[in-house]
Amino acid sequence: MRTTRAVLGGLAAMVTVGLALTACSGTPEDSGNGGGDAPDGATEVTFWQSQFTDEENEWYESVVDAYNESQDEVHVNLTVVPADAWEQRMTAAQAAGNAPDVRTMNYGDIRDAARTSQITALTDLISEEAWSDLQENVLESVSADGEHFGYPMLVEPSAVLYYRTDLFDEAGLSGPPSSWEELIDYAEQLTDDQVFGMRLAQTSVDMSWSTWGYQWNVAGHLPISQDWSEPAANDDFAPLLQAFQDLFDSGALPPGDGIGYADATPYGEGEFAMMANGSWAASQLLADYPEIAEVTEVAAMPSFSGEPGETTATLGGWTWVVDGNSDVSAEAADFIEWSLGGDPENVVPFFEATVFSKVSPRQSVADVIAELPDVDSINPWNETIQTDIVPFAQQEPAYPWNVSLAMGEAIEAAMQGTPVDEALATANDKIATEIANSELAGTGS
Amino acid sequence: MRTKTATAARAGASPSGRRRPKHKDNRIAFAMIAPAVILLSIFVVWPLVYAWVVSFYQWSFYESSVFVGLRNFRIVLEDPVFWASIGRGLTFSAITVPAILLIAFAFANLVKTMSARMAGVLKVSIYIPSVISFVIASIVFVLIFEYRQGLLNFLISSFGGSDVAWIGSARTALLAISVPAIWIGLGLASLIMLAGLLDIPESYYEAAEMEGANWFQRTFFITIPLMKNILLYVLVTTFVATIQQYELPLVMTQGGPTQSTLLPNLLIFQKFTNDLYLGYPIAAALLLFLVLGAISAVIFKLINSEKAVDG
Repeated sequence: MRTTRAVLGGLAAMVTVGLALTACSGTPEDSGNGGGDAPDGATEVTFWQSQFTDEENEWYESVVDAYNESQDEVHVNLTVVPADAWEQRMTAAQAAGNAPDVRTMNYGDIRDAARTSQITALTDLISEEAWSDLQENVLESVSADGEHFGYPMLVEPSAVLYYRTDLFDEAGLSGPPSSWEELIDYAEQLTDDQVFGMRLAQTSVDMSWSTWGYQWNVAGHLPISQDWSEPAANDDFAPLLQAFQDLFDSGALPPGDGIGYADATPYGEGEFAMMANGSWAASQLLADYPEIAEVTEVAAMPSFSGEPGETTATLGGWTWVVDGNSDVSAEAADFIEWSLGGDPENVVPFFEATVFSKVSPRQSVADVIAELPDVDSINPWNETIQTDIVPFAQQEPAYPWNVSLAMGEAIEAAMQGTPVDEALATANDKIATEIANSELAGTGS
Repeated sequence: MRTKTATAARAGASPSGRRRPKHKDNRIAFAMIAPAVILLSIFVVWPLVYAWVVSFYQWSFYESSVFVGLRNFRIVLEDPVFWASIGRGLTFSAITVPAILLIAFAFANLVKTMSARMAGVLKVSIYIPSVISFVIASIVFVLIFEYRQGLLNFLISSFGGSDVAWIGSARTALLAISVPAIWIGLGLASLIMLAGLLDIPESYYEAAEMEGANWFQRTFFITIPLMKNILLYVLVTTFVATIQQYELPLVMTQGGPTQSTLLPNLLIFQKFTNDLYLGYPIAAALLLFLVLGAISAVIFKLINSEKAVDG
């Protein structure tokens, strides 16, 4: 009897622990949904946004609610999808034929998505007035074969140098490094038991896109020919790979911590003296880490030549697109135009909420923001970013992701100790394979 | 006469000319296996057939499929990353499977010698990791392996050692993700082995002890031979489970650094989410299926499974 009780007790404990752990390990739900209930007879439009900061997520919810309240013929249902689950969720939805009608997309993905019919051309579904309000170079980023495939929401430079003035003062350093050589030297001087000298992208995936600006800077070109017919991951890129290797070997650049490049948390927690991050990190630092923000200055990432005014960043950002299989593309486009391309007052709150760490590609929105009296006091780094970085930044490349990944993997391999020339040769082979497998030759610009 | 009998037999009739009665349980038997056959057909057979068909096409969710013959298979077979991932999967299995088998075997022997109450506690303890999801285990072990604030490096530094980038270095990352794989795999393997151990008649050991056999002799000449089928089952299932592992590297390292933890299924998963067309992941999955089937067949062949004489 005692044995039976013991067995039952053990089983009960196992079941309890199992259920508890199963509950803990459940698939994370989409966080936050917006849109409310659809009125009778309204056409429903589904909208997936990648999860951003709380302030950004709140704006998405508010603009969807405002659109739904503005009329009763179309009802938008918003779903916020965690960024790290985006690709899996989207591919699964596409496979099941349930892809959302509208979704957020990077500029860099537009050309591929258009080429494979994943998104709908919006040229005729959005008014000429809304298109003509956009900066020409940004409009090019969402265009292919004479059609516009997305409506741009914002642009933001991918690489800004954030540095701690208090730690620089302690180390006797007077200002930001002006060359990569100085960057490595400063990073080594600033590294101690508590603080690492420099935070850069730490995984091949993050290196793939966050180093586009450095690739431009060091080589003057990207690792594929302009018409995408030949790989070009040659020795021109060697100083970049060598810099990552030297930083890692010195201990100033630590091994990966599982936190993505775009997340400024480790710097905000005081673990780093310098950090390369996008302009978006400004809003996170100002909102969540005011004490660190107080002792932080920004500058353009240094160039390899040591000269100022060179490209060290790309202009990335987000655009909204309509799915290629959507049955309600006209209604979806109407929602996009109302939110992003209509009254500037619909979209200005977004830039306010993100403390002007992002830039609107619309002239009329930029004009409204320029009239605001306190932009530079809200974001003390705005002027430096707009003056020293944005004018020299290049647009994101539009070639397939596997080309970027090949370079990211080469940089990571060099960082981990692979000889630089060997890493570049491997990247070149991978890009050549991608050109052949995806039949890219002649499809570039 | 002989011809007539043979013809009658082929026709299903008895030699005496009377029809052999159908087995009266046939209908019930078919009804019993029907759900399994139907479910297997829907969820296993049809998807497998469909996957083979799709693997010959350039296939996406938005465009009409284009027949490309064996192109997808050629791309996969010519891809060094695919073969490297297969080799890495085998290395991962070579680390984890022997460790699981040895520790589970030792644990099962230990439990067998314990009192019923203590054995119960030990069995629950060893089985708990099996009900933890790989995602949770991954997060826990990331905290343990963290570079500067991780538990393991804290212990090492308290003994005067320096920090090690367990999951941040290509040299140690595969070893690091092997630890949670072993930890989770132990539970089921231990319980199965314990069941096998308890199934061996105690009289064999008593007789061996009377003959003066020590523990090693009893283990190598009684326990292991009589547990051959159990060991074979655990070996094959553990091997297949470990080489197909992808959650641990997905959460802990995303396949890095420098693809040092990019196991075959994680590569397929990444290709599935990144590639514009889905020919590569489907062809790679089918090739992995063939590789696993071949290796399992070799294991069965090498360790010839047979019924124990008196097991």
